[in-house]
Amino acid sequence: MEFFWASIRKDLARWRQDFTAVLLWLSIPLIIGGLITSLVDGNGGAKPRGVLLIADLDDTFLSGFVAGAYSQGELGELISVEKTTVEAGTESINAGEASGFLIIPEGFTDALLDSKPVTLTLKTNPAQTILPGIIRNVTDVLLDAGFYINQIFGDEIDQMIDTEPGGQSNDVKVASIAVAIQKKIDAAAPLLFPPAIEITIADPPEDGPSVSIALLFLPGIILMAVMFSSNGLAGDYWAERENGTLRRLVYAPGQLSGFLAGKALAAGAIIALIGAITLVIGFVYHDLAWAKLPPSLAWITASGVALFAWFGALQMLASTQRAANLMTAMLLFPLLMAGGSFFPLAALPDWIAAIGRRTPNGFMVDRLTEELTAAGAWTIDPQSWLIILLMAVSGLGICAWRLQTGFARS
Amino acid sequence: MLSVENLVKQYGELVAVDDVSFEAAEGAVFGLLGPNGAGKSTAINCISGLLQPTSGRVTVAGYNVQKEPRQAKRSLGVVPQELALYEDLPAVDNLRYWGRAYGLRGSELETRVTEVLGTIGLGDRAKDLPKTFSGGMKRRLNFGCGIVHRPPVMLLDEPTVGVDPQSRERLFELVEAERAKGTCIVYTTHYMQEAERLCDSVAIIDHGKMIARGSVAELRAQLGARDVLQLNGRFPAGPSKEAVGALAAQNGLDIEIISQEESSLTLTLSSASQHLPAVFQAISNAGGKVSETSLRSPNLETLFLLLTGKELRE
Repeated sequence: MEFFWASIRKDLARWRQDFTAVLLWLSIPLIIGGLITSLVDGNGGAKPRGVLLIADLDDTFLSGFVAGAYSQGELGELISVEKTTVEAGTESINAGEASGFLIIPEGFTDALLDSKPVTLTLKTNPAQTILPGIIRNVTDVLLDAGFYINQIFGDEIDQMIDTEPGGQSNDVKVASIAVAIQKKIDAAAPLLFPPAIEITIADPPEDGPSVSIALLFLPGIILMAVMFSSNGLAGDYWAERENGTLRRLVYAPGQLSGFLAGKALAAGAIIALIGAITLVIGFVYHDLAWAKLPPSLAWITASGVALFAWFGALQMLASTQRAANLMTAMLLFPLLMAGGSFFPLAALPDWIAAIGRRTPNGFMVDRLTEELTAAGAWTIDPQSWLIILLMAVSGLGICAWRLQTGFARS
Repeated sequence: MLSVENLVKQYGELVAVDDVSFEAAEGAVFGLLGPNGAGKSTAINCISGLLQPTSGRVTVAGYNVQKEPRQAKRSLGVVPQELALYEDLPAVDNLRYWGRAYGLRGSELETRVTEVLGTIGLGDRAKDLPKTFSGGMKRRLNFGCGIVHRPPVMLLDEPTVGVDPQSRERLFELVEAERAKGTCIVYTTHYMQEAERLCDSVAIIDHGKMIARGSVAELRAQLGARDVLQLNGRFPAGPSKEAVGALAAQNGLDIEIISQEESSLTLTLSSASQHLPAVFQAISNAGGKVSETSLRSPNLETLFLLLTGKELRE
């Protein structure tokens, strides 16, 4: 037992000398996580915003309605409407200073009400693509809407236009127009708004909170860091072999188990440090319940030790250090790809996700996602913990076997 | 203290150690001599338990290495040929770690570590990392890691390879100090001067086989008082051999050809310096020509040459 603790202390002291490597492993999730979060969840990017110039030569209630329609709701966040004259508007659109220039001609309202042809002139900026298209589509919709409104509410609109502004009799007239419009809407409602879909509003289930896309990336990114760090830590077996210290270990009486267990626990401590920092940042950003932190960290650490054990076993099975590095690198990237580190398993096609969940890291990512997104804490089942334990023990068993069958001799 | 009986280590057809037997006593240094690749390190690895011998028996302090490996290993201190240190761990922590590996604990460990640091002359560099040490200092720390658990038997596998003369002398002193404490030491080297300086008894090994064994004095006696005369130049094969034979017969000399090639001729003879002119004349009469001469008095190196017909460091 004393040698086990000595081995942990020894490896931690050695890794403290090589803290740059630990920082690099830590930087993997921070950099990649930051980039992905800013891409899928960020709100710092500027939305496109254009200017629509309107020359309202009609200057009536309806022409004002058309001009105002462009600055309503979400459209108003995209388009800024500025009134102008024909000359100034033409000059600005020709200079490329606006996304569009709309001319509402004199007599527009009369023509609309009399169902006579009328021409609205819309000039768009050819240097822009998105905003002029939006303006064109909105104009088409407005004109269609104007036509149908005129067909249904033509009489009421005539009365509104004829009404003199101010006075008590006007209030009565406006009220009667409103009642008439409401009656027409009520009469047409069954035809215009058939209940095509019956909507039932239900409370969301308690254990299924909504999950942001960035949160789905978090487990994969953390496991990516765990994979890189456990592989790097496992490379220490070759470093010890080159140092000759493995050979000296074999000279010593029966200390292999203490050495291997100490090495695994020291690796676990470093992985736990990396996991803790990345988890705390993730928990703060996604506002997760802190009760989930201990089980998540325990899962990451146990997964890291299991991966360390197997990377160590694979490294020891290789005939040279270069072959060992090549072999683990060739394994690492496909596993990261399939195991949900580059794309969340939920975003992958079903068949790839099914394969991914059967890879060691995919299995770990899947369970960590479950822990982070479930309503309660400690949701990972005992069977999964047992699988991780078996992985760690079997990997370390192969390491012990290789140490006794020649790996220590250089 | 250490007994090796009929040790054999075979790799397929290659016999790296071929029926080697010897015993090393308490408070004595036993030298295992031979050129590179002779099988010394393989023998050491079999004794230390790093390699499983094909056959034979090794006993360390009364414990059979194959049957009682824990007890045997506890009694052994190994100083390997290559450095075996954590270069990124302070010197004192290296000693502590290896002390714990051999079961030392608490104050006993601390006392012993301090003692060893003093012995190897690194007391003032205890907290420094070995990667900042000179080659000689690393060698001394490597030695210290091998003795930290006070082993009754030590295996030193070419501990002075690549070491400067000053550090080599310091290592000799360490070995002599351990011997004075009663430690049984097996010392492998291909430097005969080291063996002559340190070893109480030696075995010469070549191609895995033990070709001579005894105390340094006994082995010197095998050589007699004959010098080794090495000649370089041109030596026609037949005539040169005949000329040397004729010279021996005419002058009653105890002269022997150890090796002969077209460009070199190695002879042993008594009082060689007195007979040099006659040797040169005989070679000249045989159509040969001597361009370079070297004369060596009897030592283990010349004994090795006599036994194997080749230089120790070939």
